[in-house]
Amino acid sequence: MKLHEFVVRRLLLLIPVMIGVAIFTFAIAHIIPGDPAAIQCGDKCGVTVDYTEDGDPITAYEANRIRLKMDDTVTVQFWRYITDLAEGDWGESLLYHRPVIDVVKDAAPITLEMSFLALFIAYPLGIILGIISAVRQDRMFDHVSRFFAIAFVSLPIFWFAMMLQLFLATGTEHGGICDPIFGTEGGCFPIYGRHDPSYTYPVDGYAWYYPTGGTGFHLVDSWFVTDEKLATLPSEWGSNRLLFKDTFFHLALPCAALGIASTGSLLRYMRASLLEVLHEDYVRTARAKGLSEIRVVIVHACRNALIPIVTILGFSIGGAIGGAVLTETVFAFNGMGRVAVTSIQYLDFAVIMGVTLITSVIFLLSNLIVDITYAIIDPRVRLE
Amino acid sequence: MRGWDEGEGDRDESRRRLREALSQSKSDLSRSWKIYRRSLLAMLGLFMVISVSLVAIFAETIAVEHPYRNLQDTEDKWLIDYEPRRVEPRSEECDWHEQKITTNPNSPLFSEVVVAETDDKVGETIADGYYRDTLTVIQLIKLENSLGYDLNLSLLSMDPSNSSLLVLSPELYGNTSLYDGVWLTYEFDNEEMHHWWLPDGYDVCIFGTNDQGHDLFSKVVYGAQVSLKIGITVATLTVIIGTIVGSISGYFGGRVDEFIMRICDIFFAIPGLILAMAFVAAMNQITSLTIPIWLGILFPIFVLAAFSNTYLNSTVPDDDQISEQVMSLIIRYRGVLLVLVGFLFFVGLIPGASWPDFFGISEGRSWRVFAALGIIAVLGAIILADRRFFLNTSFEGGLGRIRDSFDWTNPWRYLTFRTLAVFVSLALLFSFSGNEGEELVLIKNFDRLWKVQAALIFTGWPGYARLIRGQVLYVKEMTFVEAARSVGARPGRIMFRHILPNAWAPLLVAFTLDIGGTILSASGLSFLGLGADAYTAEWGLMISESRRYFLLSPHLMLFPGLAIAVTVLGFNLLGDGIRDIVDPKNRR
Repeated sequence: MKLHEFVVRRLLLLIPVMIGVAIFTFAIAHIIPGDPAAIQCGDKCGVTVDYTEDGDPITAYEANRIRLKMDDTVTVQFWRYITDLAEGDWGESLLYHRPVIDVVKDAAPITLEMSFLALFIAYPLGIILGIISAVRQDRMFDHVSRFFAIAFVSLPIFWFAMMLQLFLATGTEHGGICDPIFGTEGGCFPIYGRHDPSYTYPVDGYAWYYPTGGTGFHLVDSWFVTDEKLATLPSEWGSNRLLFKDTFFHLALPCAALGIASTGSLLRYMRASLLEVLHEDYVRTARAKGLSEIRVVIVHACRNALIPIVTILGFSIGGAIGGAVLTETVFAFNGMGRVAVTSIQYLDFAVIMGVTLITSVIFLLSNLIVDITYAIIDPRVRLE
Repeated sequence: MRGWDEGEGDRDESRRRLREALSQSKSDLSRSWKIYRRSLLAMLGLFMVISVSLVAIFAETIAVEHPYRNLQDTEDKWLIDYEPRRVEPRSEECDWHEQKITTNPNSPLFSEVVVAETDDKVGETIADGYYRDTLTVIQLIKLENSLGYDLNLSLLSMDPSNSSLLVLSPELYGNTSLYDGVWLTYEFDNEEMHHWWLPDGYDVCIFGTNDQGHDLFSKVVYGAQVSLKIGITVATLTVIIGTIVGSISGYFGGRVDEFIMRICDIFFAIPGLILAMAFVAAMNQITSLTIPIWLGILFPIFVLAAFSNTYLNSTVPDDDQISEQVMSLIIRYRGVLLVLVGFLFFVGLIPGASWPDFFGISEGRSWRVFAALGIIAVLGAIILADRRFFLNTSFEGGLGRIRDSFDWTNPWRYLTFRTLAVFVSLALLFSFSGNEGEELVLIKNFDRLWKVQAALIFTGWPGYARLIRGQVLYVKEMTFVEAARSVGARPGRIMFRHILPNAWAPLLVAFTLDIGGTILSASGLSFLGLGADAYTAEWGLMISESRRYFLLSPHLMLFPGLAIAVTVLGFNLLGDGIRDIVDPKNRR
């Protein structure tokens, strides 16, 4: 099978899964008890808002039902949901009073930024520790790192995040262990939020404005913030360097909390994978040629041991987005996880469907990319 | 066909093989243990799991107080007019009690001598009503007026002859500025709340108390029950569902396989935690889990029909290595097993699982007991009498044959799926028939914890299905499966007697690891407020509640978090150790 055939086949396989996910989210949102029409009008459901042509009164509840087209059969509603999705109309959020697509557009970059940065830290760390662990098999370093790998996987993310907050983000008077290195209060790191409150200012009296706009990834935006834009901002906001530093320090703890489990599991996978490869014939040949051990491990063994690690990347992205639900709650990031939690708590059906759908799309796409990468690296996969 | 009595030689032969299998399995076990023992981490994990299980089983003995009761004895369900104390670990304040003393001489409650006593407690039954326990005062701590200002402690004195009595000085009740009362705080002898296993002086609230005055130590100990119950229930049920689905998918292949795997893909595509959250929310208004009565009856009949057919028609002798090992083990320890099973069943000491909760008791129970016992006896007799009893129509020596069929040296013979299906369906029918309309009540009081478990099962099975499918695909190609198929064994038999026993190793590892993973997810759900109800002794919920006092009392989140970490770490290390055992590379 050629590479492009493989890609096309994988893309075609996505279609039934996407339809399945859409059915699934639709079903869940319709199983959840609670009437959206009743929730929207609250205690004013009985109020007459209009009259029919015959002069019969229409209550607010009935008007809502008509507006939301809830009297249609489920199949008709589902078909409308699918077609609306295709047209970019994801419904209206009851909680935020905004289109769902806008809510998701604002939330998705926050989660993605955090997850990607966490994996960006976790991958090199896990792989390097795994290599050392495998090379020094059954020695002290191996035992200790394996123990910590399992321990990291066993830690509840939310608890670990709170412990990080306690020790690294609070002042010494509260049990913190370090002094502030950025800002003036608390510990070395900011305790929550995406950026320092002094970097936001109210717009129109209620919305808080942060000077980036653009992609929504604040790390990128703050680095590339233009001088013209900076000139329009209050003078104490300084340079893009300051903005970037602020964003980065705010991301450090959430990413550490999110990445710790991935680091642990990666260490174990890398160790197992490398140990397997180290017993292969070509490694023995390389050693027999008189190459140095470092060269054997890095050039000959690692390159092959890393291939299966690529496949784990897809699952780690899914795991990171799932774990982001917890870290975002602890660190008060308004990402997709927090949006999902609040929408489920307040029964905001449209947002529940939208968030579930967008997370699964992200997961499926990242898996697709990983699979294609794998097929490029290891052509044997394509033969299946 | 040979007669019934001609099997003497066969039986000798089978006994000999049993003995062989027994010694074989014994050496297998000891070898596994030897491999397991090699790893220090695995031993550490075993130790952790055993200690957490022990804590869960003996929680009532170890804990000081019931998790919902207030250590400072300040529980007052209707009139909470002061705030319970949140105290630091190992503080002495757990022994303190606040009592309101009436100082208005015109009040009917007024007395010059006050008895130190607890607040109103609710009796066990209605007849008990409210009661108050008398306390023994050790030391007076603080006297406050109703505005919270300190008064001089010398206004009150302890009765030298009786340490439960406090004498008010005339200045106190002569003082009109105090209106109706003052608050007295004193240290009392808190004998029944001491940890019996700690020396004096280290005894009270070693973990402190939470904002409701609940002893954190007791809550953490009881939390082990909840978490283990969730972990084990969910892992077991997901394994069962996943195994059934996965083996069907792997064995039949083709379109069935494609369909099931696409469904699994959908489940994998949505992050588990978000899916579980949505599912918990979807079950929000369900209060008891019921199934229609026709489903309850039809399903066991269907299972019976499916399996009895297989077994009545199959004539292949069982010479599976694994089944013989299990059989010989059962024979060897059957006494112990019987006692253990009986004990577990009747006492209900399985961590956290209490049979009354599960089986809900209703009025019509006594006749159902007799009816079910009668049906079980009749059906059991029919099954035990063996189908050869019907094939061989001679009634000669029938009594002896029936007696022979109760021969306990070969219990594996009775443990067919037909038997199991009959007994399980009978037990289910009997115990779940809650007589509520046209439905069988599966779980009465389907509370939030049940919903969390249901959600985790719902999201967890695809992982197992995929795992088992892979294993089945691998084992299916082996020659012994081919052999079984060539002699005409049915798919069900091949699957359950030939393929699954050879595919269980990764399943066992995944099961152990999954207990830990489930505990993590359940605590995560509770942390998000979608798990256990408020103030339940659930570790994730305790951490969530402690967030309000994050800076003031970090110990509130420290201990439950450590408990989760230790439990999950224990199961993960155990799973790793088991992986080393079942790894073919370690079999020497």
